[in-house]
Amino acid sequence: MIKYIIPTLAIGAAAGYLNSNWSSIISSFWVSNYLFNGSLMLLLFVMGLTFGMDEEAVTKMRRTGPKILVIPFAIVFGSILGGVVSGLVLGINMVATTAVSAGYGWYTLAGPLLGQLFGAEWGALGFAANFLRELLTIITISLVVRFDKYVPVAFGGATSMDTTLPVTVRYCGSEMLITAFSSGFTLSLIAPITIIAIAALG
Amino acid sequence: MINLVGFVAPLIAGIGLGFLLREKKHVDLGKVTFGVVLALIFSLGFSIGENKELLEALPRVGVDAVVIAVLAMFFSAVFVVAARKAVGLR
Repeated sequence: MIKYIIPTLAIGAAAGYLNSNWSSIISSFWVSNYLFNGSLMLLLFVMGLTFGMDEEAVTKMRRTGPKILVIPFAIVFGSILGGVVSGLVLGINMVATTAVSAGYGWYTLAGPLLGQLFGAEWGALGFAANFLRELLTIITISLVVRFDKYVPVAFGGATSMDTTLPVTVRYCGSEMLITAFSSGFTLSLIAPITIIAIAALG
Repeated sequence: MINLVGFVAPLIAGIGLGFLLREKKHVDLGKVTFGVVLALIFSLGFSIGENKELLEALPRVGVDAVVIAVLAMFFSAVFVVAARKAVGLR
């Protein structure tokens, strides 16, 4: 799977780059809106279908119940600690690095929001760091899943509800569908709140 | 993340239909999903490639971004594994 994913991502990036430089032959709205949202919605439907048919996964899910909510909150604390430590390691504004890490991978939110709160340079960093979180999650999934099947969900952060979800389910099994989706969903709701709250400390 | 409802609805519809079809023969959706996953990854790459703001920012803030991303991911993984063991999630 991963041997197809990375080339596909690279081909997509090259196509997007060339397309935007050659007066947009393909409508980028068509790709980023219809193709992206359409394939994601179809995947969510199919993953839901596979999960619903999998008796074992559903029973396991019922037994776990609301316990799965500890996952997104552990990711909140882990990401914030990661932000604090990076501020110390890099010797730059620790409050801002913590706000960057509180994007949990949602770069389209973190970039503009951090730009507004800390200035353009931090906006660029918020964009890049959270984008790398998504990219590194996709690239490393096949390796880190061997340590623990919850690690891809932890790595993915907010992206566990969309872009990294199909790859996570592929490697961790159908039973991780609800855990990953609910974690990503919760983090998507929390991300703007934690970024603004952290910025208020600075 | 464009529209949370737009993502929750197909998921719930799929789970509902899965319940109803449980008695039916096992359907192998592996090949279908594989193609759609690649379409999704392609469009993700496409939106990165055409995003000039991101491409310009990467070389300038690259090292800081890698450090923040890797540390946030590392501590998230440590906390998640500790938390799932603490509450007995398997």
